[in-house]
Amino acid sequence: MTHAKTPHVVDARYMEPPGPFVETMEMLDTLKEGEKMLLLLFREPHPLYKVLRQNGHDYETELMPDGTYEILISR
Amino acid sequence: MQALLAFENAPPFAAPLRFFLTAPLFGVLAGLLIAFEGADVFASRWMPGALAATHLITVGFMLQVMLGALIQILPVVAGANLRQPLLIARLVHVGLSAGALMLAAGFLLGLPQLLGGGAVVLGMTVLAFLIVTAIALRGVPTTSPTIRGIKLSLFSLFAVVGLGIVMSLALAYGWPLPFSALTDLHAGWGLGGWAAVLLAAMAFVVVPMFQLTPGYPARSSWWFPIIMLAMLVVWSAALLLDLSVLARLGQLGAALAGIAFALQTMRLQAKRRRARPDATYRYWQLGLISSIFALFLLSTAALWPTAAELEGWTLVFGVLLVAGGFLPFITGMLYKIVPFLSWMHLQNTGQAKVPAPAMNKILAESGMHRQMLAYGLALILLLAAVFFPAWLARPAGLAFAVANGWLWWNLFSAIRRYRSHLADISRKLAAL
Repeated sequence: MTHAKTPHVVDARYMEPPGPFVETMEMLDTLKEGEKMLLLLFREPHPLYKVLRQNGHDYETELMPDGTYEILISR
Repeated sequence: MQALLAFENAPPFAAPLRFFLTAPLFGVLAGLLIAFEGADVFASRWMPGALAATHLITVGFMLQVMLGALIQILPVVAGANLRQPLLIARLVHVGLSAGALMLAAGFLLGLPQLLGGGAVVLGMTVLAFLIVTAIALRGVPTTSPTIRGIKLSLFSLFAVVGLGIVMSLALAYGWPLPFSALTDLHAGWGLGGWAAVLLAAMAFVVVPMFQLTPGYPARSSWWFPIIMLAMLVVWSAALLLDLSVLARLGQLGAALAGIAFALQTMRLQAKRRRARPDATYRYWQLGLISSIFALFLLSTAALWPTAAELEGWTLVFGVLLVAGGFLPFITGMLYKIVPFLSWMHLQNTGQAKVPAPAMNKILAESGMHRQMLAYGLALILLLAAVFFPAWLARPAGLAFAVANGWLWWNLFSAIRRYRSHLADISRKLAAL
């Protein structure tokens, strides 16, 4: 799946925990310097945010009208 | 490795667990009280037994689980970390349980001092909880409808407990207050502003997560807590200004907001991607249908006040909303949260070297399903007992006690299995 914001997308909207967390971490490992990935979820992943901050990743979250949180994460 | 890092946010399992294992015991107590008091409980909402049973359920069961769940979930859904969650849990659990018992005994025995004492213990406990929660939420931006809902529900918790303390002290010291109207408002802030807004805030996260439904649309999620609180403010102002039409408008607005939320949730559930309905899904269906009926009764009474004077109207409303709505929502969530937390803590203990057992090995679907049938029977009996109290009050109370005892047994068995798996994993790790 690709998205206008980036071709690297984890659509975790119908995934049970800890699927979204694990898949995001796996995709982050595959990104090259300067690339971004997008995580789609129906909730804000605060535990993931904490890990992202600890590991030095920037992220931006946008709540879409259908209830999807688009979380754009920099490598 | 990284999966373990996320675990740092989680409070110790013992923090929420004490609340989850105590709550059903208050349900048992409420059932036994109804069985012991018999038909008198259903004579009117003002009967000592009815007031005692109501508070055993709303404070002893509902508030108990809600505060325990908040201690667990604040870091996960709001990124707000409580300092010393286990210490807070211990203090709140003791204060809440003692306060609920004193309050219920005060109502039942007609001892205003005990009632006032219980209200003060509860008030101090809730105030302490609100202070530590406010400190944890300080600086947390309102980036989601869930965070907005939590913040506004905590304000409502302050309002409902404040009103409760004022009324109980007024009873103890004989202050003249409009008790009937204030009791309605107290229930409105408790069930609407606190319980329903917090439930919705949690539902925005857990319904899609555990039932694999689409997400709640953003706009209505942002507005639901605001509308509910606005309606309660209108209702409160109307009481101060002695404008009964305005008060009924507030009630109608709150009821319609609740119905809209329930219908929205049913629409999402109809689109779920989990093929087989489980106990949580069924409990939520029961809760949604009962709540819609209850709120329909409330709307009708707001538009046509004489309806509420019909025999059994208010009691049926209360049974439908609390025993038919909130308790099933909460039980349905407990049946997901307890196995999930057990699994998460086992997974973390196993350090990715020893796998945790599947969640259905910790709490089997069949046990939850049978308990739900027992609860459904208890609910039907409670509703029927409103109309045939002489025949059905005692069986309804006993059935309610049995269903809650069964819930406790299911949760307790899950924890026993969790502990046995924990010992097993530790042994295997030591042998590696």
